[in-house]
Amino acid sequence: MAVSRLSSLAAAAPAPVYAAIGEGAAAAIEDLFLDARLDRAASPRHAALLLVCGRFRDDDIADLCRLHDQLPHPRATLRWRAEALPGFTPDGVDLAPDADVAAALHAVYRALVAGARASEPALLPDEPPNPWRGRGDHGQGGEGMMGGVPYGRPMAMTDDDLRDGLALDAYAAPFGPFLSAFPPGLRLDLTLQGDVIQKLAVARPPFDQPLEAAHPLRLAARMLLPLGLPGLAERMLRRAAGLAPGTPAAVADLARALRWRGARAALPPGLGRIPGGGDVRTRLDGLLAAAGRGEAAPAPGAPMALSELLVGREWAEAMLVLASLEPGWLRRACRADMPHAPSEDAA
Amino acid sequence: MSAFLIIACVAVAAALLAFAVERAALVRHAVSGAPQQVPHLGGGAPQTHAWQRYHARYYPMTLLFIAFEMEMMFMYPWAVVYVAEGIKAMAEMGMFLAILSIGIVYGWREGAFRWQ
Repeated sequence: MAVSRLSSLAAAAPAPVYAAIGEGAAAAIEDLFLDARLDRAASPRHAALLLVCGRFRDDDIADLCRLHDQLPHPRATLRWRAEALPGFTPDGVDLAPDADVAAALHAVYRALVAGARASEPALLPDEPPNPWRGRGDHGQGGEGMMGGVPYGRPMAMTDDDLRDGLALDAYAAPFGPFLSAFPPGLRLDLTLQGDVIQKLAVARPPFDQPLEAAHPLRLAARMLLPLGLPGLAERMLRRAAGLAPGTPAAVADLARALRWRGARAALPPGLGRIPGGGDVRTRLDGLLAAAGRGEAAPAPGAPMALSELLVGREWAEAMLVLASLEPGWLRRACRADMPHAPSEDAA
Repeated sequence: MSAFLIIACVAVAAALLAFAVERAALVRHAVSGAPQQVPHLGGGAPQTHAWQRYHARYYPMTLLFIAFEMEMMFMYPWAVVYVAEGIKAMAEMGMFLAILSIGIVYGWREGAFRWQ
């Protein structure tokens, strides 16, 4: 009885959804999560539903499969305004472009929790990245600390630290393209020492998004999420969602709320400075002022490579800088870090 | 009566253990297989283990705290006997502070006073 009581309580809760956002879907997803029936999960481990929305590149399909398999059971996939992806074929639900997506997501979640809908099986084979079982002195897959592949993965190796020259272990990994802290589609190959970004290479640029996704209030809301102000970010998104393009927004109360919550003081002066484009703090001020006048986001300044902005920054600072960049400027900055990138005209 | 209490405790413990084992089986079902064990990097797969050595940045600050704390720890009993011992206690405390101040000078050189 206790278990059925728990199930009914779980079914009444907001549905935890992880969104895989593709090309042209950022604004629609932001507006969707304003619905109280949905809870936007920060990682697939906290979600029961995977919402796939927008267009994707061929390179993203393997990452999408990995993301799908990271959702705990019971899980389900829903596709909305998404093209068919060869290689990504879970037994999901296809939603019509004009469907009530929040209601559909919550209905699938209720069915999952009640056991009326079976959980989706994994798309990838159940194998470690490298064979390791039974190898080594203790069957751990390696020899000592540095050799072999314990549990199927090699150990991190030493590298010079950027800050003080200590030769400690560097962690190299690809981040994105579906990391909730990154702009959708951006994939970076990062080398980290502790939480400091040591090296950076852009593997894939962020997806192109429609003009409405670059509304100044939306950009400002994305800057508030890494600052830990999701409530204020939601207020900004609600205001941006109800606005026709070019209409001035009432921002006096938002600017006051920002000041009272200490958001401006929490942004270190000089962080992410771009010649002619100011730092993170002045960009936040500029976004609110532009929203108040009904203009587009202000010009972000001289072109720079993304690595110039982010290398040497701690993770939290780097996420703030990334969130403060105007999407078009960010795509150009990513191209400067991609040696074989297609030109702007060819893209 | 005491035998009954022991039996009751054992029964409750066995029931709790059975409940824990059953919950563990449920959790194991939720997190199972190699794809579930990959850390979330937004779609990417890591090339190495995340188990690594990195610099604990608060380390010089900790050393400095210990230097000041040891100073105070010795000063309380010293203050009690100072009047009775006189110049001898004064010299001992001078030596002690000289040794500790080397630690403070070291912390200064390492930048422990510079708040970042």
